[in-house]
Amino acid sequence: MARPAEEAVIAQKGYAVPEALVSTEWVAQHLEDPSVRVVESDEDVLLYDMGHIPGAVKIDWHTDLQDPVVRDYIDPQRFAALASSRGISRDTTVVFYGDKNNWWACYAFWAFKLFGHPDCRIMDGGRKKWEAEGRPMTRDVPSYAPASYPVPRREDAPIRAFRQDVEAHVRAGRPLVDVRSPQEYRGELLHMPDYPQEGALRGGHIPGARNVPWVMAIQEDGTFKPADALRAIYQEQAGLSPQDDIVAYCRIGERSAHTWFVLTYLLGYPRVRNYDGSWTEWGNLVRAPIER
Amino acid sequence: MSTVTPGEGCTAHRPPVAGKLDPETRLQVVTDHYQNPRHFGALPEATVVLPGGNPGCGDVVVIYLRAEGERLVDVKYEGQGCTVSQAAASLLLEHLHATGLDPDAVLAMDYRFMEELLGNDLVRARPRCATLALGTLKSAIQAWRRKLRAGTHQG
Repeated sequence: MARPAEEAVIAQKGYAVPEALVSTEWVAQHLEDPSVRVVESDEDVLLYDMGHIPGAVKIDWHTDLQDPVVRDYIDPQRFAALASSRGISRDTTVVFYGDKNNWWACYAFWAFKLFGHPDCRIMDGGRKKWEAEGRPMTRDVPSYAPASYPVPRREDAPIRAFRQDVEAHVRAGRPLVDVRSPQEYRGELLHMPDYPQEGALRGGHIPGARNVPWVMAIQEDGTFKPADALRAIYQEQAGLSPQDDIVAYCRIGERSAHTWFVLTYLLGYPRVRNYDGSWTEWGNLVRAPIER
Repeated sequence: MSTVTPGEGCTAHRPPVAGKLDPETRLQVVTDHYQNPRHFGALPEATVVLPGGNPGCGDVVVIYLRAEGERLVDVKYEGQGCTVSQAAASLLLEHLHATGLDPDAVLAMDYRFMEELLGNDLVRARPRCATLALGTLKSAIQAWRRKLRAGTHQG
């Protein structure tokens, strides 16, 4: 069903796992496909209500994916219920898209991978590209029959780093990538005197972390840069090599999920973990080492 | 000097609240405030200019407050960011102007007031965005009052 020309564009970008991305055209061709569920995940909580891809459901990083009390993700029972309520079964192809160059879409993708959902994709270019191409948007909220979704196992270890992991990582001198802005990385106040610095008591970065702002991976039209350009940034400039054990972090783990996606699926790095505690945890930890 | 007792701030002046509207109308009102913000812009002769926000996420609000002595005469804002953070600022300033620019009423407002203005679900879904303008406005009023006290002491 895919138009070869559109998918060829992605294929030519030289990614390690090209099928992790689909084009806007591919999505347009699969709007009626019952084996595909399109999921919008945004920072802006009202965008979906104002208009979304026909048939797309909404999953909110804050209210749907996070535990309402403990700082953690939902448990497997709740994940199964969430998927079921969106008409997603274990063999559904889930295509994520969203605002801010798919920043939150990648976060939702990462959260789905904590529960081992097999077939997850990102729509290259996100909401911005879909809108720019003048493709249809609707305010109709679709309703799908609840799908059967077995309660999965949540496996954090392969893709999620905790504070203790990061402490060990720092001691061992293994690579960390801080994907926030250079100002946040350097611990400079951003002229917001009455606002806590990134929700943390201290500014700066985890010792040894290299700074590669997440948005470096994106082109003007919202799509990901080709693999060659990404390798130049992450491998040649930042010195992150494919055999490294890498931890990515930002403020709460959202922007770093985007970089995790880039390193894991577009460049094929097998050992990348997202530290979702990120700066809001590290910058508040008593006696945690910090560099500026 | 305040005529507002604690907890009364939300009910003393009944504002045009969006939070109680049906979801479709509420969405229209909030979207309209986002697209056509009220009291938007800089105040060249502001007594206090106070930026607030989360640069990491991209939601920023700057409050401009102009006072004559102990009277508040104008409040405007500039900002950029998500629909909730910007519409909340516009709705809040519209309410403030409609109810007579009472600084003590603002200081008595809390997130429950923002729930009335925007709706419980929006405030709970994005508490930081929904309360950004209110927090910044309160800080601006407190900064103005500090300035006023400092001026009195000097004088």
